[in-house]
This record gives sequence, structure tokens and C-alpha cells, in this order.
Amino acid sequence: MIQKFKKSGIDIKMGFLLIGISIVLMMIFNINFSQLIISNSDIIIKIIYLTAIAMMISTAIHFLIPENFAEKHLRDNKLSHLFYATLLGVLTPGPVYAIYPIVIVLKKKGIKNPILVAFLTGQTIIGPARAPFEIGFFGLKFYIYRILLALIMGPIAALLFIFLSKFWPDKERNTES
Amino acid sequence: MTKDIILYYNKKLWRTLFLVCAGLLFAITLGSLMKIEVVNVLKQSIPLPLQIFYAELLGFISPGPRYIIYPILIKLQEFGVNLGVIIALISGHVLIEPSTFFVEVGFFGYRFPFKRFTVSLIVTYLAGAITVFVGKFL
Repeated sequence: MIQKFKKSGIDIKMGFLLIGISIVLMMIFNINFSQLIISNSDIIIKIIYLTAIAMMISTAIHFLIPENFAEKHLRDNKLSHLFYATLLGVLTPGPVYAIYPIVIVLKKKGIKNPILVAFLTGQTIIGPARAPFEIGFFGLKFYIYRILLALIMGPIAALLFIFLSKFWPDKERNTES
Repeated sequence: MTKDIILYYNKKLWRTLFLVCAGLLFAITLGSLMKIEVVNVLKQSIPLPLQIFYAELLGFISPGPRYIIYPILIKLQEFGVNLGVIIALISGHVLIEPSTFFVEVGFFGYRFPFKRFTVSLIVTYLAGAITVFVGKFL
């Protein structure tokens, strides 16, 4: 059992950690579990239902976009490439842990760090799987605004990274392992 | 092909649902501790630019998957917290978190995540500040 837990992914471990923290909080602040669930039942049902939709979108994109898509379209630190990198990040579904393998492959293929920063920024800030949540809770306008904001934030993050690297350059590191 | 899609969806869904439910439990537990009086006091005593800064720092250190922040955000919106603060929290929560920081150190060395953290701090603040003005139209 312990061996199986040790072998499980970081998301599963994180899940157990969150359950543990919740139990501790409930015990410290004397929170009634059943009352907590009943009073939040609307939001719980909505989030579970939206998660199922989010996973459908995520699955569709996984099968529609080829794995080497990002690698094909990203090369230099040009502003347009920083924008494409952000856009690709926005379109790439999945938790951040799942995209590090993609980022490592991109790095090995010679993609520069500012491009990776733009990609990571776009990927983490918003994504297609967030659409049901954000539209469902805050409305379509809010979601469109968040996409626009992400498309601006990605290139700015990359440009700031280039600026910082002038004073504190990256050390090249072997990413083979 | 259809079988592959169903298998992939099934695997992803249950794994994600476990994490989402765990995160949801954490979020509603934390949400039950939030009181409107406390939020009002914080709103009145802390200037808005500083609220944005605190929100992004809080986002950076908050654990858990992306979807769990929504119940907390809804509660904050109900309490009348500025949309700029909500944007800073939502962006800060995902841009860098302690666990990914260490993953990046492992992959790229310590300079990359340090610089990304600094950059994320600046762009998240900018996003929050812009939203303070744009938020009226959303």
C-alpha cells in the first residue's frame, strides 16, 4: 500500500495532502463535515459536472493537436514567436506537471528559454479546459477578457525574462536526465 | 480510435476528479472560515494596490489544482472584492507554485524558476492593476 502510494503521481499525493489539511482544519475549527457538504452542494455538483466537460475538451485537443505542433512553430525570440508560444500554451490542455515533459522536449530541440516562459505563462494562466468553469461562474465576457490578458501577459513575461537575463544569464544545463 | 479516446477520457477523468474533489474539500473548508466582516475590514484597511500584491503572493503559495480556487473566488466576488484582486489571485495561483518551482529547479537549474517567479510577480500585478480599470466593463 505504502509502496503503491510512493509510486503514484504528484497529483495523487497532492490530493491526499489536501484531504489531510482539510481534516486538520475541520478538527481545529470544529467544522461539521455533513453541514459543510450540504451547504455547498450546489457548487460541488456544478464543479464535478464542469470537470467532466473540461476533460472532454482536454481529450478532444489531445487527439486533435499533434505532439510536435509546438516544436514546429516555435524557434526564435521574435515577438511574433513569443505570441505564438503564448497562444500554443493557451491551447495546450492539462495540469502543469503534465506539460513539463513537453517543455523538456522543446528545450532539447533548442527552443530558447524566453519562448518556454511565454509557453508556460500561457499554459498556466488559462486553457480550454477552464472555459466551462469561468463561463459558468463569471460569464463569457470574463473568460474572453482572461484570454486576451493571457495573450498579453505571455509575451510581456518573456520580454521581461530576456531583460533579466541580460543581468543574470541562464546557465546551460543538461536536460537529458 | 473511439476506444482509445474513451480509455484516455476515462483515465483522465477519474484521476482529475480525485484531485478536484480533494481540492474542493480543501476550498470549501477554507471558504467556511472566511467571514464577510473580516473581508470588509481587510478591504477598508488595506489599499487596493497592496490588496493586489497580497492576492498574488497568496496565489503563489496556495497549494492544489487549478479548479479548486473557483469556490473561493465566487465567495470573494460575493463579498464585493475588486475584480483586479480576483484576477491577481487566479493568475498567481497557477503561474508559479512551490512544487513546480522545485520541479523547474530540477530541470533547468535555480536561475530559470527564480527569474520566472520575478517575471510572474510583475505580470500578475500588471494584470490585476489593468483589471481594476477594465473590470467595470466586465
